[in-house]
Amino acid sequence: MKHYEVEILDAKTREKLCFLDKVEPHATIAEIKNLFTKTHPQWYPARQSLRLDPKGKSLKDEDVLQKLPVGTTATLYFRDLGAQISWVTVFLTEYAGPLFIYLLFYFRVPFIYGHKYDFTSSRHTVVHLACICHSFHYVKRLLETLFVHRFSHGTMPLRNIFKNCTYYWGFAAWMAYYINHPLYTPPTYGAQQVKLALAIFVICQLGNFSIHMALRDLRPAGEWPAPGKGGMVVGRLGKGGSHLPLLSCLPGSKTRKIPYPTKNPFTWLFLLVSCPNYTYEVGSWIGFAIMTQCLPVALFSLVGFTQMTIWAKGKHRSYLKEFRDYPPLRMPIIPFLL
Amino acid sequence: MAAAAATAATKGNGGGGARAGAGEGGGARKKKGPGPLATAYLVIYNVVMTAGWLVIAVGLVRAYLAKGSYHSLYYSIEKPLKFFQTGALLEILHCAVGIVPSSVVLTSFQVMSRVFLIWAVTHSVKEVQSEDSVLLFVIAWTITEIIRYSFYTFSLLNHLPYLIKWARYTLFIVLYPMGVSGELLTIYAALPFVRQAGLYSISLPNKYNFSFDYYAFLILIMISYIPIFPQLYFHMIHQRRKVLSHTEEHKKFE
Repeated sequence: MKHYEVEILDAKTREKLCFLDKVEPHATIAEIKNLFTKTHPQWYPARQSLRLDPKGKSLKDEDVLQKLPVGTTATLYFRDLGAQISWVTVFLTEYAGPLFIYLLFYFRVPFIYGHKYDFTSSRHTVVHLACICHSFHYVKRLLETLFVHRFSHGTMPLRNIFKNCTYYWGFAAWMAYYINHPLYTPPTYGAQQVKLALAIFVICQLGNFSIHMALRDLRPAGEWPAPGKGGMVVGRLGKGGSHLPLLSCLPGSKTRKIPYPTKNPFTWLFLLVSCPNYTYEVGSWIGFAIMTQCLPVALFSLVGFTQMTIWAKGKHRSYLKEFRDYPPLRMPIIPFLL
Repeated sequence: MAAAAATAATKGNGGGGARAGAGEGGGARKKKGPGPLATAYLVIYNVVMTAGWLVIAVGLVRAYLAKGSYHSLYYSIEKPLKFFQTGALLEILHCAVGIVPSSVVLTSFQVMSRVFLIWAVTHSVKEVQSEDSVLLFVIAWTITEIIRYSFYTFSLLNHLPYLIKWARYTLFIVLYPMGVSGELLTIYAALPFVRQAGLYSISLPNKYNFSFDYYAFLILIMISYIPIFPQLYFHMIHQRRKVLSHTEEHKKFE
């Protein structure tokens, strides 16, 4: 068996960083990254981007050396992706925040509203209901992060956690402030409006969960992560910071299949839409907005909808590229429209 | 900051010449450029804007000579100022459509901050219109814009006099701080009147469970100058070194 030699150069300075000889031809990029870390321990594998061309695309961890367009001496270019943080950590942090923060406002902890309101309780039923719904929503997300989702990438740049937490925590505080305010005005159409909104919310939460389960089942549990990732497998089902975190103990996988409706009626939305999980998510927040009749909630829904539409369009595009027989009726996020 | 941003960021309303994009990271430059129809339109646009700001400049000088003092000159150029500064909103469109290679986000930010100062502060709070701080930023903007639009015009025509390039990348050193000072002082002057009138503010309780305090918002805006202004300023200084030294080298080889 002929061995390969691999030299790793800095993509910007072309400086020779590492020379590996006697590399097995069926070695994967992940294995090469591990070898590279030995000589440069500050660049752990998740931080490494290796590529064939300094300006080209990153090679995948599962790419095999002998299948690449290289001679027996392969030249790889290295780029530092910067400090990385695991997806699971980011998701848990960004979801735990809103859960906790909302409750601070709900219980009217001191220094938020006037002192005479400290630890008082709202006299409106809808305010209590809203707290239950909001809390349920984030508990569900946390549990899904731990037990349901299957990621395809382990990490993201560290600065993302600050960006994401600011968004989630900031909006949670802003919404919670008004809903739990002593001067809160309940919905104009009273109990009828609240009941309708609650129905929308519950249906969409069930729908969202159903889709997450369906997507998880597309990825078999059998595939083990590439070596070097340790026991943690985190990834995402496609581009964008999608909602699909992962159980840190379950092996993830990188298989991609077209999602189809299952026996669960909530999954029938797959007939019309590529990312029904986003559709249901927007629906949940619209329900919450109607329930609370609170403008900041509506604004949060709008911003979330904008972001999810961008992700859905990206996902839809990559489905179309990857699968020739992709169902033509499907739209990215809103049936027939968007 | 509106002054700083406008000089700093845009890669220009079309045309080559040196780039001053605040957002640009020195990446690969696309040599495509706008087509002939777009170029013609952009030349007209930039000429009109140059002319517009010249009108404002002349208006200021004439009013000063007529009145004998530099106080309350705002009223003499109020209409063309509003017209031409608001017209700059088109520049966002230019980026969105792609005939100008600048970032839509960055351009929006610059233009909106200018428009905000003109309409949401100066126009809305009549009491500040006689403040000297208004003159400070109007002068800074006027000089900056005359140079900037003529820079773009010449760049589009591929004939950029060194003087204009030099002016664009040098005068900002004084004009930025001047403009920023004028803007901050004007916003500060507007505060008591905003508080008094409850301008653009809504309080609880109301049907949509929402509140907005314009006074607090203006204070936040003022605070935001602290991180943003130095970044834009030092970016321009960096650009200046790049652009002006480049030309020096070119000259050596001629």
